[in-house]
Amino acid sequence: MRKIFPAEELARDARFIRQTNEQRLSDPRGPRVAGGNASEQLAKLTPGLPNGPDRARALMHGIFVGEIQALEGAGRTCWDFEVGEDVPFALKLDMARQCWDESRHCEISVALAEHMGTELGEFAENGLLYEASCNPDPVLRLTGVNRALEGLAIDVFNTMKEFGNLAGDPVLEFCEDWMLADEVTHVKMGSDWLRRLTENDKERLEKALEFQKVVDRLFSFNGFRGEDDDSPIQLTRRFRELAGFTDDEIDEIADMSREAKAEAPS
Amino acid sequence: MPQVSVTPESFEMVFYDAAVIGEVVAEVAERLGVEEEITLEIDEKSPLGRSKVVSHDPIELWVDGGALENTQRPRQFGKARSRDTIGRLLIRILDRRSGRFDDAPPDDELELTQIAAWDVHCVGRLARLGIGGQQKRRLYQFRNRHGFTDLADAAFNQLWESSELSWSEIERISQGCRTP
Repeated sequence: MRKIFPAEELARDARFIRQTNEQRLSDPRGPRVAGGNASEQLAKLTPGLPNGPDRARALMHGIFVGEIQALEGAGRTCWDFEVGEDVPFALKLDMARQCWDESRHCEISVALAEHMGTELGEFAENGLLYEASCNPDPVLRLTGVNRALEGLAIDVFNTMKEFGNLAGDPVLEFCEDWMLADEVTHVKMGSDWLRRLTENDKERLEKALEFQKVVDRLFSFNGFRGEDDDSPIQLTRRFRELAGFTDDEIDEIADMSREAKAEAPS
Repeated sequence: MPQVSVTPESFEMVFYDAAVIGEVVAEVAERLGVEEEITLEIDEKSPLGRSKVVSHDPIELWVDGGALENTQRPRQFGKARSRDTIGRLLIRILDRRSGRFDDAPPDDELELTQIAAWDVHCVGRLARLGIGGQQKRRLYQFRNRHGFTDLADAAFNQLWESSELSWSEIERISQGCRTP
C-alpha cells in the first residue's frame, strides 16, 4: 500500500461532491466557512438568527465530512511513517486511538444529520483537513491537523453545543459535548508530541508553528472565528488551555482573527 | 405558462442562466395555478438564502442568489432549491389573496415562530404537489422556534398535513405548542 495518499483519490460515493480550495477561494462572493459565508455580516451563530437553523445544518455537515477526513488523516499517520526516533510507537498508538474517536464521531454526525434534517452529501465537501494531513513531515502534520484544525474543532463544537443549549435541543447539546471532550484530547496529543519531538530542534518547532499559522489563517476569513461577541464561531479559551495551548498562543489566534476582520471588505 | 422577467439578464458571480430560471419559475407558477406575469429580482452577490415578496399585485419577488443555489455545487443553479424557494413565495401570495389571511401581519412584521409555522404549512402543500419537500429540515426549523417536544412535533404534523388553514388557525397551532 502506498504512502502519502493524495486527497483527490479519497474514496467517496456518488452522494459526495468535492469543492477544491481553488474553487472555494475564487468564489467572488467570499469563501464559505463554518456554515456561513465570509462576505456575510458577522453574527454569532445562534438559533435566534433567521437563518440560524439552516446555518447549523450546513456547519454540522462540514463537521461530518471533517470527521471522515480526520479519520482518514489519523489512519494515514499510523501507516505513512515507520516507527523510529521521529515517530515513536506511542505516537502511532495515539493516532490509532484518534481513529477510534473519529469513527465514533462519524457515526454521531450521521445521526445528527438525520436529527437536523440534512441529507449526507447535501453540501459540498472541502478537503482542506485531509490535505493538511498529507504533509510529509510528521511534526508538521500533527501540528497542522491536531493543533490548528482540531483546535478549530474545539471552537466549532463548543459553539454548536451552545447552539443546542439555546435551542433547547438536548440531542445536539449532548452529542457536541461528548465530541468536544475527545477533541480536547486530540489537540493535547498534538501539543504534547510537538513539544516532545522538537525538544532539541528549535528550527523544526518554528517551522511547525508557522505551518499551524498558515492553516489557522485559512480559517480566519473575515474574523469568522474569534473572541468578539459577533464572531460566528467563538474562540474557546478554556478548552484550548486544557489542550496545551499557552495564553500567548491563544492571544495570537484571537489577534489573527481581529486582523482578518479588519482587512475584510466592508 | 405565465410570463417571467428575471433581473439581471446575465450573471457575473454565479453560473446562472436567466432563461433557465425563468422556465423553473414559470413551471412552478403553472402548477400552482398562477397565470399572471411574474418579476424576479436576484441579488447574485449574496450567497445567503433570503427571499421575499416585494409586491402581491403585480407579482414581484426578490431573492438572494444563494436561495437558488445548488448546495452541493456552490455558484451553480439548483433547480430543486429554486422550486422550493419560488414555490414558498407564490403559495404565500395565494394565501394572502385567499381572504383567509386578511388578519396576518405584513411579511416584515412576522416573528420567527410565525414564519416557521407558515413555512411548514406552505412546504407541506408544495410537497404534495411534487414541488420541494425536505420535511425533516422543516421539522428541525420548527422545533428550533417552538421547542423540541412531542407537542411541537404534533403541531408540525398538523400544519404539514392540513390543506388550507387560515392565518388564525396557523397562529393558534403555533402558539399552542411554543415552549415558554
